[in-house]
Amino acid sequence: MDYLIFSLSLMFVYIGLAQLLHIQFGMAGIPNFGVVGFWGIGLYGTGVLYVNYGVPLLPAIVVASVLSMVIGYIMALLVLQRSGQAILAATLALAAVIATLVVSEKELTGGVQGLGTIKFPFDGVDSRNLIFMLFILAVVLALIWLSSRLRDSRMGRQLVAIRDNEELAASLGKDTAATKRLVFAITCGFMGVLGGMSAPLHQFLVPYQLAPSLTFAVWIALVLGGKGHNLGAMIGVFVTFGLFDILIETYAPVPAEQAILLPNFKLFCYGVLLVMIIMFRPKGILGEDKPRVADAAAGKG
Amino acid sequence: MKLEAHNLTKAYHMHEVVNIEKVTFGAGGLEGLIGPNGAGKSTLMGLLTRRIAPTSGTIKLDVGSGEKTLNPLKSHEVARIGLIKTNQRIQGFDSLSIRDSLRLAATPPQDEGLMSLFSRKRDSNEIEEKVARLVEAFPFADRNGYAMSGGEKKLLDILRCLIKEPKLFLMDEPTAGLPEDITRLVMDMVREKVQAGRMRVVVVEHDLPLIWEYCDFVHFLSEGSILFEGKPEEVKANRVVAEKYMGV
Repeated sequence: MDYLIFSLSLMFVYIGLAQLLHIQFGMAGIPNFGVVGFWGIGLYGTGVLYVNYGVPLLPAIVVASVLSMVIGYIMALLVLQRSGQAILAATLALAAVIATLVVSEKELTGGVQGLGTIKFPFDGVDSRNLIFMLFILAVVLALIWLSSRLRDSRMGRQLVAIRDNEELAASLGKDTAATKRLVFAITCGFMGVLGGMSAPLHQFLVPYQLAPSLTFAVWIALVLGGKGHNLGAMIGVFVTFGLFDILIETYAPVPAEQAILLPNFKLFCYGVLLVMIIMFRPKGILGEDKPRVADAAAGKG
Repeated sequence: MKLEAHNLTKAYHMHEVVNIEKVTFGAGGLEGLIGPNGAGKSTLMGLLTRRIAPTSGTIKLDVGSGEKTLNPLKSHEVARIGLIKTNQRIQGFDSLSIRDSLRLAATPPQDEGLMSLFSRKRDSNEIEEKVARLVEAFPFADRNGYAMSGGEKKLLDILRCLIKEPKLFLMDEPTAGLPEDITRLVMDMVREKVQAGRMRVVVVEHDLPLIWEYCDFVHFLSEGSILFEGKPEEVKANRVVAEKYMGV
């Protein structure tokens, strides 16, 4: 049971990250390949504050998230007006820098020996992990709701315009650079929130958790589900992480000698699925969705 | 609103495309800018709206309340002052319908912040009315859909600028890609606004009959410099213009 709760909590974190990437990449067209970096700032920031300085969990998450947001803003200032490839390389590099810093700054992070233990909040309450899972779920649902509001709002429309043709949007008086910076910083901040909430899930933090595989898992999920659809992130995580990591790895009756092959089989399936989606449904399983706005004019011819 | 450029130059790899001692736009109602291919017309337009950075020279904007130097401004800041330019080549937002595109253009920047996530209605009635008026005035194939043909995209580009109610409106080859009847609809609407004193216009065009018909004042640009300026009749009668451009 505890393992299922852990897996589901982790899945909600993945959905949240993919949802934020949907805003960054699907709406605003910013290819952030440093998801694990911003998540990692939240994760290790929370861990360091909690373990080394005795800060309670929730304030620690808030501080770490603000740090993640600030670093997101600085990144935005530096690279967001460059080309897509430059943003991709820079964010990927940032994630690598964060991972390296975690290994090298042993006094703070424990280095490769790890950092722990980070306990669930609500001391003394039964099934704290379940309550914490519901807490994560609430945050992720709020993110999905917020991003649907963004899709239907004037700001979302401006983001889509920037993604389609930034120069044209600027010529119509839109401060495209500032809007992108704002959106990027806030979404990076939320990635930090999800990282902070992952700290008690893992309880013990090791640098291995900051490997780029998390970034790729989130990207694959988003592309599969539909980067331009508000629920694409959720569906994408269901068919990747939910299907393979939870259902098959945990519950499928696979003989022990074959079970060792499962992780490789999973990667194989991800690859095939991804190629098929890109070939036959390039916009993802759900495709794209349009703003749901009461359109007074649409009825008339 | 008047726009004044002094000693404005733009060079690419030592090759000077524009070299203008002094030119003033926005003094004469509806103005035309003509000149042979490669004269630097589009470059000049780009310089004036800050899409292209000048090699040297200053651009000053007289906004009634005082002068403003355009040089340090960014593209969106120029647009916010009221200096807006249409595009020569077709530009558009593929994901936005005709109406959404116009709504986007009509929405002032301060209404597009984070707080707009929590407003119940996306666009005010005022904006919806403005959009409806423009969309209904032109024969789009699908008024509630997307701009399909090149002509519709070009028209939408011009309407997107018009709905922002620019003070000085630069039109870069409005006839290129537009059917003649639509061009006339657009130009009539523009002339009406100019005569009502709501904006000043500069039209860059190769279609000389259109220039002679609509413009009150014409600038002739050749090899990067203004060679002649005057009323349409004077320009028509000028020998330099005739030799350099009309091939007489």
